[in-house]
Amino acid sequence: MPREIITIQVGQCGNQIGMEFWKQLCLEHGIGKDGLLEDFATQGGDRKDVFFYQADDQHYIPRALLMDLEPRVINGIQNSEYRNLYNHENIFVSEHGGGAGNNWASGYHQGEQVVDDIMDMIDREADGSDSLEGFVLCHSIAGGTGSGMGSYLLETLNERYSKKLVQTYSVFPNQMETSDVVVQPYNSLLTLKRLTLNADCVVVLDNTALNRIAVERLHLTNPTFAQTNSLVSTVMSASTTTLRYPGYMNNDLVGLLASLIPTPRCHFLMTGYTPLTVERQVNMIRKTTVLDVMRRLLQTKNIMVSSYARTKEASQAKYISILNIIQGDVDPTQVHESLQRIRERKLVNFIEWGPASIQVALSRKSPYVQTTHRVSGLMLANHTSIRHLFSKCLGQYEKLRKKQAFLDNYRKFPMFADNDLSEFDESREIIESLVDEYKACESPDYIKWGMEGQGDASVAAALESKLVV
Amino acid sequence: MDDPKALDLVKELVVRLLSSRSPSPSGDPSADLPHALRYAHRLLSSRMSPSLAPDEPAMAESIKRHLAVLGRSADALAFADLHSKLAARSGPGSVRNRWALLYLLKSLSDDRRRADLLLHAPSVGGLPALPLDPHPVRPAKKTLAPSGGVLLVSKDPENIREIALREYADLVMEETEVSESALVRDVLYACQGIDGRYVRFDKVSDSYDLPESLKLPRSTRTMVRRLCELGWLFRKVRGYITESMSQFPAEDVGTIGQAFCSALQDELSDYYKLLAVLESQSLNPIPTAGSDSGVPGNYLSLRRLAVWLAEPMVRMRLMAVLVDMCRNLRGGAMAGAIHGQAQHGDPLVQEFMGRLLRRVCSPLFEMVRSWVLEGELEDVFAEFFILSRPVKAESLWREGYQIQSAMLPSFISPTLAQRILRTGKSINFLRVCCEDNGWANAAAKAAAHVGTTTRRGGLGYGETDALEALVVEAAKRIDQHLMDVIHHRYRFRDHCLAIKRYLLLGQGDFVQYLMDIVGPELSEPANTISSFQLAGLLETAIRASNAQYDDRDILDRLKVKMMEHGDGDRGWDVFSLEYDARVPLDTVFTASVMKRYLKIFNYLWKLKRVEHALIGVWKTMKPNCIISCSFAKESAVKMQFVSMLRRCQVLWNEMNHFVTNFQYYIRFEVLEVSWAQFSEEMDAAKDLDDLLAAHDKYLNSIMEKSLLGERSRDIIKTLFTLFDLILRFRSHHDRWFERINELQLRGRGKSRSKSKELGSWVEGGRKAMIQLAREFFQMMGEDLDTIAKEYSASLDDFISQLPMQQHVDLKFLLFRLDFTEYYSHLSSSK
Repeated sequence: MPREIITIQVGQCGNQIGMEFWKQLCLEHGIGKDGLLEDFATQGGDRKDVFFYQADDQHYIPRALLMDLEPRVINGIQNSEYRNLYNHENIFVSEHGGGAGNNWASGYHQGEQVVDDIMDMIDREADGSDSLEGFVLCHSIAGGTGSGMGSYLLETLNERYSKKLVQTYSVFPNQMETSDVVVQPYNSLLTLKRLTLNADCVVVLDNTALNRIAVERLHLTNPTFAQTNSLVSTVMSASTTTLRYPGYMNNDLVGLLASLIPTPRCHFLMTGYTPLTVERQVNMIRKTTVLDVMRRLLQTKNIMVSSYARTKEASQAKYISILNIIQGDVDPTQVHESLQRIRERKLVNFIEWGPASIQVALSRKSPYVQTTHRVSGLMLANHTSIRHLFSKCLGQYEKLRKKQAFLDNYRKFPMFADNDLSEFDESREIIESLVDEYKACESPDYIKWGMEGQGDASVAAALESKLVV
Repeated sequence: MDDPKALDLVKELVVRLLSSRSPSPSGDPSADLPHALRYAHRLLSSRMSPSLAPDEPAMAESIKRHLAVLGRSADALAFADLHSKLAARSGPGSVRNRWALLYLLKSLSDDRRRADLLLHAPSVGGLPALPLDPHPVRPAKKTLAPSGGVLLVSKDPENIREIALREYADLVMEETEVSESALVRDVLYACQGIDGRYVRFDKVSDSYDLPESLKLPRSTRTMVRRLCELGWLFRKVRGYITESMSQFPAEDVGTIGQAFCSALQDELSDYYKLLAVLESQSLNPIPTAGSDSGVPGNYLSLRRLAVWLAEPMVRMRLMAVLVDMCRNLRGGAMAGAIHGQAQHGDPLVQEFMGRLLRRVCSPLFEMVRSWVLEGELEDVFAEFFILSRPVKAESLWREGYQIQSAMLPSFISPTLAQRILRTGKSINFLRVCCEDNGWANAAAKAAAHVGTTTRRGGLGYGETDALEALVVEAAKRIDQHLMDVIHHRYRFRDHCLAIKRYLLLGQGDFVQYLMDIVGPELSEPANTISSFQLAGLLETAIRASNAQYDDRDILDRLKVKMMEHGDGDRGWDVFSLEYDARVPLDTVFTASVMKRYLKIFNYLWKLKRVEHALIGVWKTMKPNCIISCSFAKESAVKMQFVSMLRRCQVLWNEMNHFVTNFQYYIRFEVLEVSWAQFSEEMDAAKDLDDLLAAHDKYLNSIMEKSLLGERSRDIIKTLFTLFDLILRFRSHHDRWFERINELQLRGRGKSRSKSKELGSWVEGGRKAMIQLAREFFQMMGEDLDTIAKEYSASLDDFISQLPMQQHVDLKFLLFRLDFTEYYSHLSSSK
């Protein structure tokens, strides 16, 4: 009963970051490109069966489902050195291979149509595990497949596996430059609704921030997708270390997430990682101590979500929770000192309506991956400033919606047939109420929020939308 | 004394003496004069002669020795020089009676030493002493010599002296019934413990004595008595020896007792030799007074006997003292007692005791040697200071051997004794518990290293340094070997780690899985649970977690243990894990140690259970479950639901915060820190005692820091209240959500039916349902309030008690619990 986690990677972006993730996992566990354990990988202590299972011939096979509506990326994987790693039955490419054309509605609709095939795969994988802990979905929210088909999957999983956890690693589009996907705001909004309602935890990976980090922190002039994706895979693998290297605490995903998400709706997490390197680049951080790592993790420049907050708003932003996963050779007493220092310097603002603290999970490092730094750290944080990202999405949606632009593509699909755009409105309401809830968390009276004025129409409306499926 | 010239001289001397005496008691010196004069006359006319034979060289020798003894060897040399000059003089002006002169000088010198005592002699009619300062003896000699006052006595005509002596001899004969030689013989007999003709042992007075009826001068009687003390002492010593020897083997005298007896016996045979010589001398007739004075001969008078026996007397006395002291002692205690007597300033005594102790201690040292090098306790008579007790292998180390402090001779220091004890114990432990033979090598190496002192019987009293060196070396090597065996062959660290992993719940995935599968089982009443089934579940948990990769040997030792249970106990109360350490590690992990581990396990298990319960709560409230929960669009009920939900969540968050941080504290501040320290000490441990102490410290540190110690009783009570509240919250929560789901289903069913067929009864049912929901939320709210109130009261209590736990550092716990100063704000706003 290893509390297995099934990874579902959907769409181009999802499959790309998924593949990076599996590469990283294979490296860390000493699993070769063909799934066979390397000769040197004799040091036990790691738990491979959370993410892998062993075939009859001792191959380690990832508990992964690869899905796309167009074959390009998956073909790439199947032609790569890792082609023998995956279970070929777990790969789904739509027959026509035409993709979703960056259209959420298309992705959603196609997902609906192949639901039986997909759910067969998922069920088979779920039945193959003793005590399934949950699913991890990798996708982007801007395109068509990852967002549309991903959304459909989220709804289906929620219905069929309501007791299981559903975590997503969702890549948010780059908001700084004009995207080639003009309908990105629509797609984002519609996906966000599902992320709000049907996921237990969303790890927000903001492409804007990833690019910024690549440029500023890694000094890459023109970061490629591969490079930013490797950042994502680093975060993904680091956030699962406590599951893969069992210790006294934080051995399961639910335990990890429960403390991070005290209020169910506020389940969007930011991440930060330090020290960062890409592709064996020589790192620039000379000395890594626990304090150093923990302090860096709190710096906005290391956080993989851009803050769109204005200064005043930013100062009011609060952490609901923080979990630092520190890897490496760490003396627990250093953690104490670091925490003390951080509190003395008042480096963090926490919510005022309940007790909170920086949680620290100490985890082992893979013995097979050589790193130049002694200590590295990942921060998973539930921070109210994420609402500004959603506001930004909302704002972009409003702009587009006002112009009634590009809606025709959506009307082609059943959900929006007959010019029924209520889905957009509903999604907008839900995101707005999500933003409101995050905002309420910044106040010490969160516990009473929404209760005082029962007659207040807007609150009632917000509540209304909150509770509707 | 009728020579007027001499009389004048005497008178003048007396006058001088009296006048030199300052403040006389009667005030006028002349008043005392006639009296003093008469006294002087009487003295001078007495015919008393010194009891010593006039033997000039002997006298000179005696003076020299006396001076030498006083440390005035230069004076002794000067004296010898002067004396030879005096003796070399012949012809007119030379001194004829040199012996007498010397005797006088010696007597004067002796008197001078007693000057203090005699200062007031005149008050009883004696003469005052000559003023000693600034002109001591020499001026006196000068004054006397030319006048010839004293010399006059020696110038007495031969016949006068002869007559006087004869008179004296007659007088003596009159007073004495027994001849001196007979007495001497008797004394010699007495000295061998045999009754003589006159001298007999008197049981009543417990001494040798002459019959009262025997007419003897008092001085003789005293002297005989004094000499016979030796006999009495001898009797005592011999008595002890024969007693001890005859009792053997019926009563255990012990090897040390035997050695003691034999040493005494040897001393006695020296003594016998002396007596034999003396006896042969006693056959020579004693020259009667005046017969041939000044002629030395090999005869034995009582006085000579006294001289001869002076030294044996000292020895015999010592032996008697020892015999008295050792009568009821045995073994090491005896050696110790003798050693106690050996601390004596007199070199004679010291030398004698040293000789004796070497003999006495040789069995003891032999025991030490064989114990330290071979682990053998060659101690049939229980004389050694190490006592073995028959115990089970697991307690061999702790209880198998003990130091008997009564048997520990004081020349072996307690530290050394401890080391000796441990070394032999280590050997025995290796032999019995570890079935190891490598120690022999180590012992041999140690012996070789120290060298020759290790041969059988090679060690002796007075070589404590050598003994210590041997013991230290042997201890070092054998302990080293023992540590090697414990660490490498019995993998002590691995087992400690295994205990840490399983009993202290370090292996999180295993614990979690175990919790998952035995949880439902443990909610049953304790008496219905089969431990066999639990053992099966344990095995499953092992196979399902990373524990499966652990050493089979380690996993085999892990067992389920059901504690004693009473009525109403649930499985949770009695379930625990046990680790079977097996010989020889059960010396470290004794039953009582395991009991403490058990206590810690139960505590941690409970903590895990609470954590598990909270996670369970979260799962039912988890985002995608709860957000999609819907109630019919009845906003009042919905409000209630949302409000209730949020209160649940906030309470949950508070509980979770507490449990997570408490776990963190237990994990990093208690378990890991203690382990790090233990690990360090484990590596540094040079012997098993160190290791045991380190482990004890480790366990204590865990107990104390995790608030399981005696001093944390109150706070732990509060903590358990908190735990119980959390568990209660969990069970309430489960009920609430069951009900909520039920209501939802009904609501959903109703609304669906509503869409199909409209009817007033449906509408009525819906209202009833809403009414039901409202009542339910009302009730739930009350329950929630109760729990929340109790919880925050208990938490307040707990937090306020934290600073009072002075004996453990809980700052970090408090710091983490109140990281955002939420609680301090809360309490300050109250």
